[in-house]
Amino acid sequence: MNTPTHAGPCADYEHEIVELAEGSLSPERARAIRVHVESCARCRAWQSAFAALDAELGEALPRPALSADFAARLKSRLAVVTRTNGRADLRASADDEYRQTLDALRRGTKFSAIVGAMTVVGICTAGLLLARGVAPELAPLLAAFAGPERATAFVTLGSIVALGTLAWSATRGILPTLRLRA
Amino acid sequence: MDGGIEQHLAAGRHARAFDLVVPAYQVRVFRLAYSILKDRAAAEDAAQETFVRVWKALPGFDGRAALGTWIYAITRNTCLMELRRRRPTVSFDDPDSDEAYRAATSIATAPAEDPERDNLLRLVDTLPRTQQQAVRLFYLEDRSYEAVAEQLGMPLGTVKNLLHRARKRLMELARPAEVKAA
Repeated sequence: MNTPTHAGPCADYEHEIVELAEGSLSPERARAIRVHVESCARCRAWQSAFAALDAELGEALPRPALSADFAARLKSRLAVVTRTNGRADLRASADDEYRQTLDALRRGTKFSAIVGAMTVVGICTAGLLLARGVAPELAPLLAAFAGPERATAFVTLGSIVALGTLAWSATRGILPTLRLRA
Repeated sequence: MDGGIEQHLAAGRHARAFDLVVPAYQVRVFRLAYSILKDRAAAEDAAQETFVRVWKALPGFDGRAALGTWIYAITRNTCLMELRRRRPTVSFDDPDSDEAYRAATSIATAPAEDPERDNLLRLVDTLPRTQQQAVRLFYLEDRSYEAVAEQLGMPLGTVKNLLHRARKRLMELARPAEVKAA
């Protein structure tokens, strides 16, 4: 059965016999093909065989239909995907927030340290110079900055100024702040 | 119908566009999947998966291709992935070859009750992969060459040639006696 024994139609008319069956030929060409087929046994047989095969394929090939609940199942599936995506988005957002916070902390800490150090140095220098020139009666107090206890005096003064600077920068929003979301 | 969808897409209303996409394309997506997978349940699963992918990708749809062309391309890719998943150990040189396709889809072909019909369906299964798909889709789509061309992503002329060769081969295999008598 699987041995091809089909002689086939005339090569010039093969495609047009199919088009004739499908009604896609122009009226003039359709008339010409009909005239040929009527006079050609091979083409007539082929036309007949083609029509029979076409009908058989139309009947034999399955024509499955979509399930009635296709759209409902799709909706349920999308709801699951949406929830999963929502959780993923929330997690990504939290990660992003965490990274931004760390960056802000790094940037803010460096900035505050620089501002604090410069302020401490500036205020201490200015304070010492001012005190020495303007208030000679503070000489005993200033002697602490020149005597053997000068390290302690400078550290104490520096700490007071540094704390003041930090408090000021925090009130101005220079220090990083944590933004907490629900 | 696509006009409304495209208006929603242009306005960024992707959810509303998707609500129109599903009823507009679900039958054709299912038929295309069936023509490739040859199994109703598998085709429905592939159609569902296709729409999930469409839903995810719709915000990125840039309109360079027609919406239908894009959706059918997603459908074909989804089906190819399913075929590869079914036969992951098939070691043909070309995983999309006709041999690999027959191996992946043979388990899905149920025997028909009518012997003649059963024989014709088996003959269709012997055709090369693209011819099989074109034949199934052509008769599912009420003999529309244009629908087959759009869904398989092929030029119209290519589809006509594929179908002509396929049906000619089936005539040679199924009706040799009749043709020989001519």
